[in-house]
Amino acid sequence: MLAQQLANGLAIGSVYAIFALGYTLIFSILGIINFAHGAIFTLGAYFTYTLMGLQFGFNGLLAQQKLPFGLPFWVALLVGAVIAGLFGVFLERIIFRPLRARGADPLLTLVASLGLAVAIVNIIQYLVGAETYSYPSGAALPGAPASVNFGTTEAPVIIRTAQLIIIAVAVLILIVLTFFINRTKTGRALRAVSEDATTSSLLGINTNQLIRLTFFLSGFVGGVAGTLVGLNVGITGPYLGISFGLKGLAVIVLGGLGSIPGAVVGGLLIGIVEALVPASLVSYRDALAFAILFIVLLVRPQGLLGRPLIQKV
Amino acid sequence: MSDTNGLLRIGSLTRAFGGLVAVNNVSFAVNEGEIFGLIGPNGAGKTTLFNLVTGLTPPTSGELYFKGRNITGSRPHQIAKLGMGRTFQNIRLFPNLTALENVMVAQHIHTRSGVLSGVLGLPRDRREEREAREKAQGLLEMVNLADRAQVQARNFPYGDQRRLEIARALALQPKLLLLDEPAAGMNPNEKAGLSTFIREVKEKFSLTVLLIEHHVPTVMGLCDRIAVLNFGQLIALGNPAEVQSNPAVIEAYLGDES
Repeated sequence: MLAQQLANGLAIGSVYAIFALGYTLIFSILGIINFAHGAIFTLGAYFTYTLMGLQFGFNGLLAQQKLPFGLPFWVALLVGAVIAGLFGVFLERIIFRPLRARGADPLLTLVASLGLAVAIVNIIQYLVGAETYSYPSGAALPGAPASVNFGTTEAPVIIRTAQLIIIAVAVLILIVLTFFINRTKTGRALRAVSEDATTSSLLGINTNQLIRLTFFLSGFVGGVAGTLVGLNVGITGPYLGISFGLKGLAVIVLGGLGSIPGAVVGGLLIGIVEALVPASLVSYRDALAFAILFIVLLVRPQGLLGRPLIQKV
Repeated sequence: MSDTNGLLRIGSLTRAFGGLVAVNNVSFAVNEGEIFGLIGPNGAGKTTLFNLVTGLTPPTSGELYFKGRNITGSRPHQIAKLGMGRTFQNIRLFPNLTALENVMVAQHIHTRSGVLSGVLGLPRDRREEREAREKAQGLLEMVNLADRAQVQARNFPYGDQRRLEIARALALQPKLLLLDEPAAGMNPNEKAGLSTFIREVKEKFSLTVLLIEHHVPTVMGLCDRIAVLNFGQLIALGNPAEVQSNPAVIEAYLGDES
């Protein structure tokens, strides 16, 4: 029973982790929380769905439409995530960069991103309606069983194939991203910009270009996370990303703002704790993430893996 | 204005912050191969001038030429790419990057590896990365920090941070090196060593040096020519002896202290 809950927690925790990575990447470069990330996450799920050639729009403007072609799931996932990434770059260009150029207060940027999130969600609803969309069963691995029993017949630990895929993809994303940031030239430049953008520019680094790249990566990872959730529970409407948006916030604050390992630890922790909530208390589950957050912050204000903030004089 | 003489030409440069004119109609040129000093009382506009030259602050009016090219309004990374390196009055290393990484960041512009090829670890990128690392290690050796290449910059004592910052600026392979108060916080011994070090580095990398310095003996002993700023205006320009005997300079300094 416990093993079963841990497995469920691991799967949802992996999604929290890669969702929160999208926040973390942008926060570490710009010091802002991009609330539009939840909307990009939702868009990613819809993009993949649409690219698979499935019928979208039951009630919206685009009712009864579908693309004239259909891509296999994995190709659609990749292309959908790239489009989500480019959408992130687009938002950066039209909203965040002008605000930055004017030296806008971070609070303004935060509110702007919140407005964006609401606008995007409403546009999705206008276009394709609010119905639940489901990827066809077995879309990711045709012919694979729907679930695998890792326990025994007496004490089953059943993990659905969709959950296994989520965990595997999350691990892959984490490995590639960690390697990229810590071991490549561009990753090093990214870390330099996150520590001191002005000095980086004086060393010949085009900071705007790196910020664009960060928004792309964030959007890409968000798009993948959205699709994975869609694969697991279906696309439950344009508001899919909103609850993740808030929980993702708890994850990054819990793990430590701007810390990539922090986002992973925070995500897994919240996912597992939520999965351990007994069925009778399940309606309080969402409150739990914030309760953990509150308790941890009392003891460690910088989050689990964050660096203590030192006030500059 | 002619753009043929001088590695760096500053023409009628003005920068106002609201009502305060921090740099007021300043013109001079720094010739290739010289060590050029910029002095003046506190608040004279020296650091603002550095920020204008490196593109951090756009000028209100005036022109800047570097290597014969008009760089007025260019962005900092574009100017850095042309070959201008800089250190700061308050050291600005990347505190959580290692010493080696700090230096390697400055080599960014001299390598061609892209995002995707870097992640894939293609042979050309791996070779490029290895060469960059060796070069960076060499620069750390030159400033006697090679044995601590893997230590995060924030763990270095003050003097070592200063030298690390210079090594990082040199990794840009600049033609012109701007040093903002390199002797700040150093003891007399270290100050004496600094002049020798700057001369050595200048010869070895065939640099032109533009430096801000408060410590008068250091400036007089080190610089070929000196410009003096006071309240944003250029009040004297010449060799150390000329500047030292200039009545306007004497007044600016004595007036400041009384």
